[in-house]
Amino acid sequence: MNNLYRQRLSSHLKEMFKYLRLVFNDHFVFALLIFIGGLGYAYSNGLKELQPNLWWAKPVIVIVLLLVLQIGRFATLYQDADVVFLLPKEAEVRQYLKGARAYSESLAVVYELFGMFVLLPFIQVTDAMSVFDLALIAVAQLLLKDSLFSLAIIRRFQVKSVWLKASSWFKWVVPLVILLAGVYGMPIIGAVLALALSIGLRVADRRYDAAPFDWWQAITLENNRMMGVYRFFNLFTNVPMLKGAAKRRRYLDWLLNIVKIAPKNTYLYLYSRGIVRSGEFSGLYSRLTILGMILLYFVRGTWLPVALAALFLYLIGFQLIPFYWQFDDIVFTHLYPIGEKQRVNSFRRLMFSLTGITAVLFLIMVFVANQNWQVALIALVVELVEVVLMVQYYLPLRLRKKK
Amino acid sequence: MTLQVTKVVGGYSQIPVLKEVTFDVQDGELVGLIGLNGAGKSTTINHIIGLLTPFKGEIKINGVTLNEDKNAYKKQIAYIPETPILYQELTLKEHLEMTMMAYSLDHDKAWKKANHLLNIFRLDNKLDWFPANFSKGMKQKVMIVCAFITEAPLFIIDEPFLGLDPLAVHDLLNLIDEQKAKGASVLMSTHVLDTAEKYCDRFVLLHDGTVKTEGTLPELRKALPDAGESLDDIYMSMTRADQHE
Repeated sequence: MNNLYRQRLSSHLKEMFKYLRLVFNDHFVFALLIFIGGLGYAYSNGLKELQPNLWWAKPVIVIVLLLVLQIGRFATLYQDADVVFLLPKEAEVRQYLKGARAYSESLAVVYELFGMFVLLPFIQVTDAMSVFDLALIAVAQLLLKDSLFSLAIIRRFQVKSVWLKASSWFKWVVPLVILLAGVYGMPIIGAVLALALSIGLRVADRRYDAAPFDWWQAITLENNRMMGVYRFFNLFTNVPMLKGAAKRRRYLDWLLNIVKIAPKNTYLYLYSRGIVRSGEFSGLYSRLTILGMILLYFVRGTWLPVALAALFLYLIGFQLIPFYWQFDDIVFTHLYPIGEKQRVNSFRRLMFSLTGITAVLFLIMVFVANQNWQVALIALVVELVEVVLMVQYYLPLRLRKKK
Repeated sequence: MTLQVTKVVGGYSQIPVLKEVTFDVQDGELVGLIGLNGAGKSTTINHIIGLLTPFKGEIKINGVTLNEDKNAYKKQIAYIPETPILYQELTLKEHLEMTMMAYSLDHDKAWKKANHLLNIFRLDNKLDWFPANFSKGMKQKVMIVCAFITEAPLFIIDEPFLGLDPLAVHDLLNLIDEQKAKGASVLMSTHVLDTAEKYCDRFVLLHDGTVKTEGTLPELRKALPDAGESLDDIYMSMTRADQHE
């Protein structure tokens, strides 16, 4: 069983590195680096203006620590088929989980320490703590994370205790109390309480040693985790594994009903519903649009906002193009007596609408940020030209290339 | 003559799975395509519906090949796949509307038909659901409803009986009868031999990518006199004889 986890981990890491490489190759990272650089710059500037003993400093520290605590999940790497194939090996499940915990927890330690590292200057400026106290808070944070992993293991067994199964209680409320005690009271108290929690949950876990494993729960939780990972990568690159369940989104039906039911709209009907209800492309589109809007809100000048708006608009259009092939694995799309040309036209209309909406939103942001008609006008012209170029010339080119 | 498959050599890669397959389906006829797993039934079907192109030979539906007129060819086929294939993002109602648009059906007439079919298969209260979350049998029913509203002259049905409840099997067979009476042709691949024996007009027995025998049940009996009475007996003796070769 230990070997099995190691095998799975190595293929999992291989897959993750494959995606990381894609992420750090794509030009999207360029925009993201600007974004992160800007944030860092703003953070260091903001720190300079802070004074010690601000009333909101301690709540912010507690909230940030609590949020950072939630980063880093338990990676069991279970797969759907395990419920059939590993069932006879249930006795060895503990050993497997040990490997899973070692990997997940060491990764989580890195996240927690990085979170502390980012928070450190803020604590130093607002609340001059001794190095010893800071270390105690870091220790408390790590022990809290350790407790969460014990809890994660308990949750994967068929444990009847409602108390232990109420995950939000141990994930949010108890850590909040302990962090409050550490930050407002004495750091040593926080560390001791965290240690007690960590030991307590490990003992509780030991008590359920003989409980039957909850395969469905374990597999569902792992699938959810992988979904989150894929969704993250999907921000930057196309993830074929990502086939989330469709959401009905009834409140958007009025938008979909714009498409008239007519043979020439067959694909527009399909594409519009696909984009509105599928998690992946609508998420991609809305996240990039919102990220672009936030960025544009903070950027001043004449050409910089225009260039950024154009860049983000291009990124969105670029990322939408693979949606053209979204339904290719559905055999009926190959059987419909409809020519390719109609499909291309439908997709063009969809892309035109989507990039058009984004362009308008960006334009509003550019105007709000700069309060300048001239800049807004330039942005309008540039965006208009870009949308037309993209939909009329670039899209057909890309579609032809693929064939 | 609705479907004419002539000396088709084909497969997925360079290596042919089908070796000169020839058979036809006449107007108003239900032909059973019978064969073991891997005999080439699905490959044959994939060639007919146009997902694969034959290396040699040709396939005509009412005199049209796929190359001559893509849309005219495709318009004549209604296909029910072995494993139901559905759009994740479309509701049952939208699946039907997609089909109506794609096949340019008259909206009101098609809906009248659809409602009738939905009623038969007890799906009429699920119009606003995502069929992708249905059970296998219910998904299969959605496939059937979508196929039978098209008024296509040729139905290609791949193993329809697995997962359907007995009532639905009956209803499907009735629908097939109705279509046959209207002159449509049906090619159905199946492993459920006793049902096939009762309902099919003719059989094409595929083995190892070739048509072993073809004909009505009496014709098959005549060709293999020692095999026995039922389709099952004939089929078993044929495959066994082949294994001894």
